[in-house]
Amino acid sequence: MTTKKTTEKKNENTEKNINLKNEIKQLKIALKEKNDKLLRSMADFQNYQKRIEKELTCREQENKKKYLEEIIDLHELLKKVSDDKNPKEGLKLLINNIENFFKKEQIKPINCLGEKFNHNIHYAITTLERNDCEDNTIIEEVKKGYMLNDKILRPSHVIVTKKVEKKKI
Amino acid sequence: MGKIIGIDLGTTNSEVAVMEAGKPTIIKSAEGQNYFPSVVAFTKDGEILVGESAKRQAVTNPEGTVHRIKRKMGSGEKVKALGKSYSPEQISAFILQKIKKDAEEFLGEKITEAVITVPAYFNDNQRQATKDAGKIAGLKVKRIINEPTAASLAYGLDKEGEHKIAVYDFGGGTFDITLMEVGEGVFEVLSTNGDTQLGGSDMDQALVDYFAEIFKKQYDFDLRKDPKSLQRLIEASENAKIELSSTMQTDINLPYISVINNEPKHFETKLTRAKFEEIISKFVDKTEKPCKQALKDAKLSPEEIDHIVLVGGTTRIPLVKNKVEEIFGKTPKRDVDPMECVAIGAAIQAGVLSGEIEKDIVLLDVTPLTLSIETLGGVATHLIDRNTTVPTKKSKIFSTAADSQISVEINVLQGERPMAADNKSLGRFHLDGILPAPRGIPQIEVTFDIDVDGILNVNAKDLGTGKEQSIRITGSTKLSDQEINKMKKEAEEHEEDDIKRKEKVEIRNNGDALAHSAQKTLDELKDKFSDEDKEAIQNALKELRSALSGDDVDKIKEKTDSLTQVLQKASTAIYQKAAQQHQQTQGNQQSNSDEEAWSGHPGDDDKTINADYKVNKDEDKKDKKK
Repeated sequence: MTTKKTTEKKNENTEKNINLKNEIKQLKIALKEKNDKLLRSMADFQNYQKRIEKELTCREQENKKKYLEEIIDLHELLKKVSDDKNPKEGLKLLINNIENFFKKEQIKPINCLGEKFNHNIHYAITTLERNDCEDNTIIEEVKKGYMLNDKILRPSHVIVTKKVEKKKI
Repeated sequence: MGKIIGIDLGTTNSEVAVMEAGKPTIIKSAEGQNYFPSVVAFTKDGEILVGESAKRQAVTNPEGTVHRIKRKMGSGEKVKALGKSYSPEQISAFILQKIKKDAEEFLGEKITEAVITVPAYFNDNQRQATKDAGKIAGLKVKRIINEPTAASLAYGLDKEGEHKIAVYDFGGGTFDITLMEVGEGVFEVLSTNGDTQLGGSDMDQALVDYFAEIFKKQYDFDLRKDPKSLQRLIEASENAKIELSSTMQTDINLPYISVINNEPKHFETKLTRAKFEEIISKFVDKTEKPCKQALKDAKLSPEEIDHIVLVGGTTRIPLVKNKVEEIFGKTPKRDVDPMECVAIGAAIQAGVLSGEIEKDIVLLDVTPLTLSIETLGGVATHLIDRNTTVPTKKSKIFSTAADSQISVEINVLQGERPMAADNKSLGRFHLDGILPAPRGIPQIEVTFDIDVDGILNVNAKDLGTGKEQSIRITGSTKLSDQEINKMKKEAEEHEEDDIKRKEKVEIRNNGDALAHSAQKTLDELKDKFSDEDKEAIQNALKELRSALSGDDVDKIKEKTDSLTQVLQKASTAIYQKAAQQHQQTQGNQQSNSDEEAWSGHPGDDDKTINADYKVNKDEDKKDKKK
């Protein structure tokens, strides 16, 4: 009885072993395939990155060209202006052209004189003590700021009032 | 697991980076800048501002704005802002919070962990304070590492065995020198020294003073007293400094800089690099003493230093680089952006901690040279371009070059030259058993597959019959640098000739293809052409064929063009005739005449008939031309 049982058990074990061995073999193959797939998708991604980088530099160049061309035109015209004995009219048109270009590119100047200082769109370069107007008000524009669409292209550089009494506190 | 970011928490500016797909990437602030000003402000309206917006309002709100909090870290000293007091940890936490928020926005995922850098001379208190600041900001600080260590990591200096490194950090407001020893990836600080009151901003100021003095001599007016003029002078000085890092001289032109006695005044001057260096040399010289002291403290002579790493924007100035060379007698490393290398090193450390950098797996090989096959006329047609990361697989469809061709030869090539004969042949094989068909009809798919070990499998399959043949080439990626450089150099040297030769082959191929299709058109439509046109085509065809049998490429081109013209004329006549017939017969035979005219278009007949799969082939052609 016992011997029979052990043989049975042995047989069962060998069978189990064979099954397990097969399973291990299959899993090994599956793992190898998965590993290969993983490496390939990693390589694909790296190749994709390289391509995107190339494309980005290309596009950057294209963009640059667009703005450089505008500057070249501007330069040509300004040279004419400088030779002009009565350049006022020409300059007026030139400035108009630039402003139209800004409009086309959705660049808008930030109006700031007399407004309350706003750290989102203004950059205070210094303050001036005053007692004749409100505190924290822009009294001078040092450099004009611009918005591009709804984002800030560059903040207005401004001088802001400071009420005299306040400083003493 | 989430990403861990690396933060360079600086005195004036902070930077942050993260590992993305094995590469460190600098994270931009919401304002679109590569850095975050380390400024925190409390406004009267109860708002807390951090970074760029805090900086913009700083002069309007000096009582509420906190700068340079790093200097107070770990001191236990509180700072007052608008009547309230804050610990330095709290202030730093505001900066870290802003960085965390912008990094989350940039990466599109939640960030909870970070590596933060501190100066090598920071004591335990200061390090703990930095950790606490992270905690307050909601960041688990996985590790605090020294700034010079981070900079060295950015240069991969942890992998080069045992050696000694000097990190020369010259920023906007401070100068630090750190000597370290690295072995088995462990960095040990040997000595540090520096000057907390020395930086690039001193140079800017000196330059502004220099320009202002020139103007003053001319007009007896101090531009520094007018904030408007001063602002422009500061900007011009910064630009001049940057410009003179690459050029020997720069022009400073500031039109309408000021109005004196109701008259607009302009500022015009030139600044040579020599003069610039004279102005800044006293600041650069001041870095020498701390370096010497550090060497003395570490008991090292300059020759014992193996690598010098430059950190900070000021090290971009050539004079500074020269000074470093003079002190240490060696050329410093500078291929990583000196402003970003600390944050990049922190990100690399973070990548190691998060398990993103497992050295063996991420390093995938690239193909050192282009792999191609030889096509009609001895042209090398690219399958896998140089510098492609492997493993990779690319396929292209090719066809036969002659009618009833039953076998194609696949010649696998390596190299950058456009003609097959100039490249190295890695192996060749034949694919037989192609069914006899007109040229261009059979479709043979050629696949190049490079596995992770660099073994190249080339397979050619006749899509019509399903027959295939392949070859296995080992070592296609394992070329010596010498071999690669030689082949690249050859390609560069021969570039012009090669292009000409390829053009010649293309002209010949075009002529050949036209002759073939003209013959076909002639056979198919012999009843449609007028005798006159038929004869013209036959003559032109004959001339083209005789040109093709010779070597004169210009003649081939000329004859190809004239045959094209004759064909166009003849086909136009057919269309006109068809149109006339169409008008005469009207409605009934409409479809019939349409069809005839359609197939009678000589130049493109191949394409229209076989539109379905020729499209594919056309795309291939485009690829080839690139």
